[in-house]
Amino acid sequence: MPVEVEVDVGSGLPGFSIVGLPDTAVQEARERVKVAITNSGYKFPTRKVIVNLAPANLRKEGPAFDLPIALAVLAASGVVPPGSLAGSGIVGELSLDGGLRGVRGALSFSEGVDREGLRRLVVPRENAAEAASAGKVDVHGVGNLGEAVDLFRDGEPEPTYPAGSRPEESPAAVEPSPDDFADVAGQGYAKRALEVTAAGGHNVLLSGPPGSGKTMLGRRLPGILPPLTLAESIEVTKVYSSAGESNGALVKRRPFRAPHHTISTAGLAGGGSNPRPGEVSLAHHGVLFLDEFPEFSRGSLEVLRGPLEDGHVTISRVAASVTYPARTTLVCSMNPCPCGYAGDRRKACRCSAGQIERYQSRISGPLLDRVDIFVDVPRLTREELRSGEAAEPSEAVRGRVAEAREAQTARQGAPNAALSGRPLREFCALRGDSEALLSRAIDRMGLSGRGHDRILRVARTVADLAGKEEIAAEHVAEALNYRRSATFDL
Amino acid sequence: MISSGESTGFAGSREGYLFLSLLQARTGTSLLRRMGDLSPDRLPEMSDRELGEHVKLSEKARRAFGELRREFDAEAVLGRLAQTGASAVTLADGGYPERLREMPDPPPALFVRGTIPEGPAVALVGSRKASVTGIENARELGRALGERGVCVVSGLALGIDAAAHEGALASGGPTAGVLGCGIDVIYPRRNRELFERVRGSGAVVSEYYLGEQPLPWRFPARNRVISGLSETVVVVEASEKSGALITARHALEAGQDVWSVPGPLRPPECRGSNRLLGDGAGVIWDVAEFVDAVAPEPARPVAPRALPMEELEEGELPQHEARVLLEVGFEATGVDVISGRSGVGMRELLPVLSMLELKGYVARDSGGSYSRRGR
Repeated sequence: MPVEVEVDVGSGLPGFSIVGLPDTAVQEARERVKVAITNSGYKFPTRKVIVNLAPANLRKEGPAFDLPIALAVLAASGVVPPGSLAGSGIVGELSLDGGLRGVRGALSFSEGVDREGLRRLVVPRENAAEAASAGKVDVHGVGNLGEAVDLFRDGEPEPTYPAGSRPEESPAAVEPSPDDFADVAGQGYAKRALEVTAAGGHNVLLSGPPGSGKTMLGRRLPGILPPLTLAESIEVTKVYSSAGESNGALVKRRPFRAPHHTISTAGLAGGGSNPRPGEVSLAHHGVLFLDEFPEFSRGSLEVLRGPLEDGHVTISRVAASVTYPARTTLVCSMNPCPCGYAGDRRKACRCSAGQIERYQSRISGPLLDRVDIFVDVPRLTREELRSGEAAEPSEAVRGRVAEAREAQTARQGAPNAALSGRPLREFCALRGDSEALLSRAIDRMGLSGRGHDRILRVARTVADLAGKEEIAAEHVAEALNYRRSATFDL
Repeated sequence: MISSGESTGFAGSREGYLFLSLLQARTGTSLLRRMGDLSPDRLPEMSDRELGEHVKLSEKARRAFGELRREFDAEAVLGRLAQTGASAVTLADGGYPERLREMPDPPPALFVRGTIPEGPAVALVGSRKASVTGIENARELGRALGERGVCVVSGLALGIDAAAHEGALASGGPTAGVLGCGIDVIYPRRNRELFERVRGSGAVVSEYYLGEQPLPWRFPARNRVISGLSETVVVVEASEKSGALITARHALEAGQDVWSVPGPLRPPECRGSNRLLGDGAGVIWDVAEFVDAVAPEPARPVAPRALPMEELEEGELPQHEARVLLEVGFEATGVDVISGRSGVGMRELLPVLSMLELKGYVARDSGGSYSRRGR
């Protein structure tokens, strides 16, 4: 939404007022603008100055209006050639000495400027690279008010980043994730399950006693996901930027977000009167890791359901509604019981059957319906630590995952995890012995209809990893390992 | 009111035993055994001091006695039962189960929904937290007994109990569930459906009146009823602290046979039942042999059961499956251990394990580990 800044310097008692529904931060711009103009060596007009922010019905928030207001005032008093400001998008927060501070959402500003058909964007220097990464408009980075004034006094200034140039061409040269699969000893089963998870874009639940390495494994999932494409990288940067978490450059690593279980629903899904993206959006194109899954409140898990289904969150407020993307891989981890040691081979579990039942029933629900892969992560014995397959580096796994993802995009234009209904029947059709195997598993293992669909989706991913167009019996058989194990279930 | 107890030494009337039953539920102690030749019929007229001369009463019991004496109305008690489709059978009634009557401390009254099956009965009990193998054994034994028309008695709890009832129901045989709370209180909730099915094929029984809650002390007491309704008690799988061992002790005191299913050496789930074997319980090493021993003749004809859940494939296993099977222990073995021992990589191993599971050679437990099972 563009905001136009109008300034009138007229007769009357000297004064300075801002109208057009400004919030406190915008109101305070008066003091910052006045002092910054004086300290930059210009004269603040000793007349009645009125600043109008249009459209008047939209609430204006934040300190990004400082720079446009200051420049408009200087234009009205003739310091900057009147008319030279037209056609420019300007954002920036002023400090008292006339210096400029960075703002949130620079990338979004540059997209907005492009959408409005303007030709250039003036931003604080520290935001310039970020704003230019979309590569659509001329971006001028300025360090202080004086530089901004010079920019507009100069007829045809040289942009810091001309449209079409990108400060960093492509993020394809991904920064390697600091956490590598090769660091995890043993756990071949869990690693294979995570490979399938990554390859099909599935959500996953890791269950195991304390110290079994669930967190360590979950942390390594982003590292085996295919590298971010430029478009994905820009989307992620926009979200980070609007949350004020951007460091100015494009985000090149898949996000990994691990909120604590005491997080509020607004923190998780996004919200606030000045809307801010939640963790589910900050994990866009990355991994949302919910450690100690059963400890999250039912309410906050409930709000995740929509975003996980739709891939975006819409936060509606009186003034406006904001939509943030939220396409993320959900990784949940939990202990199998309150004490944590049910099913452990070395330490006896102290919980009663009833306690375990209550604990486990806490996690069932709509969110769990979106989880395709269930993995039991046992604590390692010495034998297992020694006997694990040679640990493979994340890079090798990532290669296979990327190929499987490409096959899915070519076939159905979406990851396998998104398949349901008719596309599921079409792309996961079973023939002959694989069909027979699945129906036998349904009888023998008591799979539900939903369980059946899960097995199909996961079998599809296993086949894609093997580079096979047809789902074979062995793919179904492997998928059966990732079903939810029935703890004390009858 | 019918009074037919002379021969067994229970001389009270139906009302008297109902009163005693409600009193015991409130005080949490058994008075019947300590009352000597005092007839329960006199209770409603006695003062707490008079009762105190016969039986030592705690302060709490004294108060409970006073309250009950003021409130007690046999008509209303029975009326409420009838409304919920239940009935009461007391020590004064001819229909009171004979084996239970001979126990050292029989409940004064039983509240019943459905009909307690007559004929031979075997109790199948064990831990709530049971291994997959234990669950399978309970189901298998329940089914085999049901096919002979033997009533399977258990406690309608989670784990072994539920599996035992399930097995009996699957065979179409009779079954009875004994509760540690009122018969209108469904505990645990998850067994709601099982509850109804047990009632349909037999009875749900409790010595506690409607609405009584499942207080912890009621479960050990309930176990004596389980053993009292059966001729033989089988502990399928029990940890050392399991209430199933209490049932076994009641059975031994009453001179009944106790059997147990051997389990592997280490798992805590099996230590109680294994120990029972060490103490001389009968060893169930073969289901058919056990069933022949406890029920030589079919007690009543039962419709032949539907085909078993899995039809096992005959013939030899493919070589790679056989190789993996060798490395799966009888105790739970982790997938990574199996992979390490057999040298088969994860990608090849996972499908093989599923095939072995589907063919019935191995079972997967709640922790995702595999163990071998009998076919």
